[in-house]
Amino acid sequence: MAAWRRRVLSADQRFLGLLDTSPFRIAIVYSLVFACGAALLLGVVDFAVSRIVDGSTDNLIEAEVQGLREQVLVLSRSDFIELIEQRSQDQDVRGAVYLMVDPQLRPVAGNVPAWPKIGSSDDKWIQFKVSVPFGDETREHEMRAQRFRLPGGYRMLVGHDVQERQDVKNLVMRGLIAAVVLTLMLGLGGGFWMGRRILAQAGAISAVATQIMRGDLSQRLPVRNADDEINTLVREINSMLDKIEQLTLGMRTVLDSAAHDLRTPLNRLQATAEGAMSGLAPGSPERKVIERVSTEVDHMRSTLDALLRIALAETGTVAREPVNLSELVASMVELYAPVSEERGIRLESSVAPGAEVQGSRQLLAQALANLLDNAIKFTPDGGHIRVLLKALDSTHEVVVEDDGPGIPADKRELVLGRRVRLDEARKVPGSGLGLSLVAAVTKLHGARLILDDAGPGLRVSLKF
Amino acid sequence: MHILIVEDDEVARDYLAKALREVGHSVDVAGDGLKGLHMASSIAIDLAIVDRMLPKLDGLALVQSLRATGRKLPVLILSALGDVDDRITGLRAGGDDYLTKPYHMSELMARIDALARRGDSGNAETTAKLKLADLELDRMTRRVTRNGKKIELTAREFQLLEFMMRHSGQVVTRTMLLEGVWDYHFDPQTNVIDVHISRLRQAIDKDFDKPLLHTVRGAGYSLREDE
Repeated sequence: MAAWRRRVLSADQRFLGLLDTSPFRIAIVYSLVFACGAALLLGVVDFAVSRIVDGSTDNLIEAEVQGLREQVLVLSRSDFIELIEQRSQDQDVRGAVYLMVDPQLRPVAGNVPAWPKIGSSDDKWIQFKVSVPFGDETREHEMRAQRFRLPGGYRMLVGHDVQERQDVKNLVMRGLIAAVVLTLMLGLGGGFWMGRRILAQAGAISAVATQIMRGDLSQRLPVRNADDEINTLVREINSMLDKIEQLTLGMRTVLDSAAHDLRTPLNRLQATAEGAMSGLAPGSPERKVIERVSTEVDHMRSTLDALLRIALAETGTVAREPVNLSELVASMVELYAPVSEERGIRLESSVAPGAEVQGSRQLLAQALANLLDNAIKFTPDGGHIRVLLKALDSTHEVVVEDDGPGIPADKRELVLGRRVRLDEARKVPGSGLGLSLVAAVTKLHGARLILDDAGPGLRVSLKF
Repeated sequence: MHILIVEDDEVARDYLAKALREVGHSVDVAGDGLKGLHMASSIAIDLAIVDRMLPKLDGLALVQSLRATGRKLPVLILSALGDVDDRITGLRAGGDDYLTKPYHMSELMARIDALARRGDSGNAETTAKLKLADLELDRMTRRVTRNGKKIELTAREFQLLEFMMRHSGQVVTRTMLLEGVWDYHFDPQTNVIDVHISRLRQAIDKDFDKPLLHTVRGAGYSLREDE
């Protein structure tokens, strides 16, 4: 019965279900790949840009240092100081910084307020921050510079304001992070949206599929107004369903006309026999012959009924409704209890309450009746029959066990086929269709039929 | 009783008409659905027996049209189809009972009697107390007494007796009991119904002189006061 049961999803389960959809997983993978791509690309750009910009700044500083080293050799100290002051004021060279200090590191000339206290004095390149007026306020600017010694213990610092470069770098960094975050968010959002769409469509499809499996062959899967692969698939499944419905209806028509063509002459035969009987004295040889004919008609009728019911169950053209399995099993046990008692057979039962299945009550009753008929037929007088209904959360099991001769393991498959009667069974009456009907009805209800050894006896189990 | 038979199979129809006349009914016959509908709506008829598959107008359509015009006469549907669901379809279309071919005349007669009586004693369905000779059954208190003496019955025996008492004086067949009391529609291969009846008989007849529950050979059972 599990196949017919639809789970109602809670909100949590629905969310987890969404994470499990293939579009969502694809979206996650792709957004991760895109995010990594974006990060890599921007990283490369940043690296290349700073290589070029840093390189040119460093070259400028190197050249200036070289120039000043030459100037210090030819100029007097005061001229050199003047030169430094001049260069410091020069607005053409934007961002250039200079500082000349005496041996006590007191500033002598330049546009940097104090000698930076970073790094050992041997470091050629240093980076430090300087407060620079910016409108009404001051801003900390990043500086890059080279230091070198001048004659007489004086020291010189030549550098460049690299704050702008740092700003650009920061901007690029922020853009990079924003791009990665945005890519991930768009990817996840898109994934959610696609996932929900797919889930909604899959949900609609599975709801209809459930109804179709319950036997409503007129149902069709919902088609959306789009030409994607899912809709193409759905259309193909729908035309397959058209075909199945046609075939099933055709089968039903064939069955009905076969039934009609056999029942009508049997009915005439019965009517004729009964008509003839009424004119004959009870006990006369002629009457006995006619009675025999009437009995044979009865046998043919029950065989025909059984065959038709098997065929109906096998083609699945039977209306289905909720059946209270507990009530059904209990009432069948109650129906058969007096008969088994007459034979001194103990009919024990244990029926769990509240078991319900989707199906045909009449066919399930017939199947159970066949099992009980069989059990009573084959159980010796004074024997023992057990009927159980076990109800678990999603599955139910009906078991009928007897004390009879059982069925040898190698013949169990065989007896489920049409008209197989084992040698031991020939001495008891029956059409040989009992278990075939049970098998067909079990299949119709999506259940499993298991024949087993009850040690001694036969154990028949129907697992819904 | 005036009975209309709508059946296209001539052989079956003639035997049926003959058998019904023999037990004292007057019979009209129709060979197709249209003629049947015409007769059913124009002649005073007490009961109709309608075959399900008829030329010109299908048996179910006939019954539906009849019901649509407000005719309430009891209708027994005869069918040569597959069964299982056909019975429900037949009853939903407005049939009062449903019998699958081939049938025994005794089965059909018993069902016709039950249908005819259902019309007369419509109150038997609702009255709280059923009574036959000195046997009394109270539906409200679920108490059964005979000659003032209380009789203990199981729930199913009570239902069985109630069904028999509602049909007292009539013949009730085994299939009618299986349908009416258990709501099952199949032929059990073992004599399950007979054993239930014999238990009921033990309970209501054993300690009393006059038996009320009789076996009708070749047909079924009857609960009646023997004259």
